[in-house]
Amino acid sequence: MKTLATLILVAIMIPAFSQTRITGKVTDVAGEPIPGANVLIKDSYDGTSTNVDGSFSFISEEKSTQTLIITFVGYKQFVQQVELSGTVITITVILKEEINQLDGVVISAGSFTAGEEKRRTILKPVDIAMTAGATADIAGALNTLPGTQKVGESGRLFVRGGDGSEARTFIDGMVVLDAYGPAAPNTPSRGRFLPFMFKGTSFSTGGYSAEYGQALSSALVLTSKDKAEMNQTDIGILSVGADVAHTQVWDRASISGKVQYTNIQPYFGLINQHVDWIAAPESFESSAAYRQQVGKSGMFKFFGNFNQSSFSLFNHDILSPTVKQKIDLTNRYRYGNASYQQALGAWTLRGGASYSYNQNDVRVNDNPMGETETGIHTKLVAEHSVSDQFEIRIGSEIIHRYYEADRYNEVLGNSEELSFREMLSATFAEGEYYISNKVVAKAGGRFEYVNLNQSATVSPRLSLAYKPGKQGQFSFAYGSFTQSAQNQYLRFNTQLQPETAQHFIVNYQVVTDRKTFRIEAYQKEYRSLVKFNTTNPTVISNAGKGNARGIELFWRDSKTIKNVDYWLSYSFLDTRRLYLDYPIAATPTFASAHNFSAVYKHFISKWKSQLGFTYSFSSSRPYYNPNRPASQFHEDRTPAYHDLSANIAYLPKNNLIVYLSCTNLLGRDNIFGYQYSTATNAQGQFESRAVRQAANRFLFVGVFITLSKNKSVNQLPNL
Amino acid sequence: MKTTTFIFALLISVSAFASDKYTEQMSKHIHAVYTAKSVDEYQSAINALDRIALAEKTKWEPYYYSAFGNLMLASQATEGAKKDSYLDLALVAIEKGKTIQANESELIALEGFVHMIRLTVDPGTRGPQYSGMAMQAFGKALGINPNNPRALALMAQMQFGTAQFFGSSTSESCGMARKALEQFSSYKSDNPLAPVWGKEMTEGLLKACN
Repeated sequence: MKTLATLILVAIMIPAFSQTRITGKVTDVAGEPIPGANVLIKDSYDGTSTNVDGSFSFISEEKSTQTLIITFVGYKQFVQQVELSGTVITITVILKEEINQLDGVVISAGSFTAGEEKRRTILKPVDIAMTAGATADIAGALNTLPGTQKVGESGRLFVRGGDGSEARTFIDGMVVLDAYGPAAPNTPSRGRFLPFMFKGTSFSTGGYSAEYGQALSSALVLTSKDKAEMNQTDIGILSVGADVAHTQVWDRASISGKVQYTNIQPYFGLINQHVDWIAAPESFESSAAYRQQVGKSGMFKFFGNFNQSSFSLFNHDILSPTVKQKIDLTNRYRYGNASYQQALGAWTLRGGASYSYNQNDVRVNDNPMGETETGIHTKLVAEHSVSDQFEIRIGSEIIHRYYEADRYNEVLGNSEELSFREMLSATFAEGEYYISNKVVAKAGGRFEYVNLNQSATVSPRLSLAYKPGKQGQFSFAYGSFTQSAQNQYLRFNTQLQPETAQHFIVNYQVVTDRKTFRIEAYQKEYRSLVKFNTTNPTVISNAGKGNARGIELFWRDSKTIKNVDYWLSYSFLDTRRLYLDYPIAATPTFASAHNFSAVYKHFISKWKSQLGFTYSFSSSRPYYNPNRPASQFHEDRTPAYHDLSANIAYLPKNNLIVYLSCTNLLGRDNIFGYQYSTATNAQGQFESRAVRQAANRFLFVGVFITLSKNKSVNQLPNL
Repeated sequence: MKTTTFIFALLISVSAFASDKYTEQMSKHIHAVYTAKSVDEYQSAINALDRIALAEKTKWEPYYYSAFGNLMLASQATEGAKKDSYLDLALVAIEKGKTIQANESELIALEGFVHMIRLTVDPGTRGPQYSGMAMQAFGKALGINPNNPRALALMAQMQFGTAQFFGSSTSESCGMARKALEQFSSYKSDNPLAPVWGKEMTEGLLKACN
């Protein structure tokens, strides 16, 4: 028995007698020493950190075969079996960099990304909400970025020589058929979705991923917020209406609802309008969002929106202004979007379905002429990380649309109806490969088939980025894009093929902690654009074409001046098209050669206020003058556009915000174009009327109250 | 019989020695984290704690102090992206600690602290989201252990910072800080490795209150 005890004792003592010293050096691939790396023997306390010169030395009391592990942030873990026998072990280790770290190269050509979480983004959701002149409209804020042209009478996004219909909006990957609310002729419309709903915004002015189709010029990809964090009630009292919202949170789910009523009538009573309103725009809106976490990584999202708005006005004849036409419009809109995302090992699956219903019930002199579009979109995407360097994404989607328009024929006294049903199926695949932290390539393609006219298209996409140093990087993007012809043409000729555009983009950008500089140049080629036959305008074909090229600059600095954040953007655009009824290739009326924006935001803690100014400039735009011969088509130019807008958000209490904004402080009478009479006057001339802003200034006042347990919460991000 | 008792006693002493080694090593490295003066000193203490965390599969304390070290590095870093990367490491360690001890008030309070430092990188943008997440964590930590002085002190700090940002009254947060200071004197944990930091921070806050 005594022997056993001795044996046990000896067994315990043995490690003390056989210590092994392990020494060595840790460097990166370039041979630079890595200080602070953690060197250890697995399942023991033994180990050390590397010194400034990357060297290390420690003694282990373990014996026989053990695992040596070396770790350092941003590098791949080093693992090796070692034999601990008392003999000194010397080892030189080269750690390989991990790919896709924060400082690594990213594909940036053509895109502006905004998010709360992504650290090196150019714009954040709060920036979108708090841009003066944008009045919390997403498109309004994005119009201060390079690549956009201000088209004041529309309110939509016009990107790089593309018209308003070429920029599409996607929510959680699902297409939104009509992203803008209704607007009276020549008055700007607003986006249907408010910026606070989204945690991420990616605004692409070209060369975007193969996942997105049906957009010739631009993809605005919005990612809705995840589960809400706390119960709260928000109340907003606005100069043009009121809203109330409530959010209820559970452990793994949240639900929020909002109702809003707006009526611009009282406001129009105060401020003189250039529009002869009978009833000013009035709208009722309700929306609901539901979020449910499923399992460890699953997330189900639902968003639903219901909106009804209406207005009526008189349109005066240009030749004889006493002759007027009564226009009534009621727009009914419903949108539902359900999506689900789940990670399964190295795979991520996401899918969704969305439903849109948009009805414009228009009456001209009480004769009905309306249009209705219904769409259902379903989509499934699988993403797979083959390695930390290589990722693939494949997916499939079906967009089903039904469109119908009817108009009352006064002469025949009956209703005429036009309708079509379009089913579009698409499949896409894309691979992203990080050759190193300096070079990344993304290549993919998209196949689309439209059953309405048996059109099949293949659209290749390619992006490259190279980051030679720590901050600056070069990018290149190429892509081919297609989009179905607009409803108003497709309804007359369902055999119209999709319009196409090709983008070539080069970009250089430097992003440091709180400063961004970027310069981008592009060339765009349009083919198969809709064209009317010059002799018989009812014959519509795909014979149109066009091109656009330009150069853009962007500078943002929120570092140099304390509490001040500003950005400047400039875009140059040179574009021509031969499409629609154009007799010769000409610059479209929505295109201006030079666009400049300066956005300034200043937080003044003493006043508990954030102050913002936005100055926008847009050079003259062409307009059509029927008094000129066809050879001088679009040769006339409007005056240039200038606008200086301001806003102020005052926070007297943590949960109370008073918000005031005013557009066009200087009261400039901006002219967007000219409309001409349909008949000639006594002198044989067509008479013109300027298309102006509905009012010189738009003044908005709002009071926002948040009720929650946490008193530090307010609606600042909602504005 | 005598021999069996001897072996038994020996085995007990061996295991006692082993557990003592944990406490002894931990105490040493916890002290190193508390007294670190430079990035290198922090890094070397964090590395040592990470080694213990890897070897001990059932202890939350190594993860806690590893996270605490990274949090200190984050609060001292000047560049926002650098702060974020230290905070990411802290959060990973806290999550690992929580898989061992899901309802540890100290871990959850520290998680709230991470959100709070994350907020300071860009208060204008991150304020609403991270103030909510931080306050929720402090509330949860106090729900588990109402006597945790760090959870209360951090909550006071958070409310004080928010009140200052918006220029509103700090009296409520200062009252909370005074209560936290009392709890620092009265609160005793039976865990010899339990955190003890935070009193000086609270005293500093109270100085700003006066």
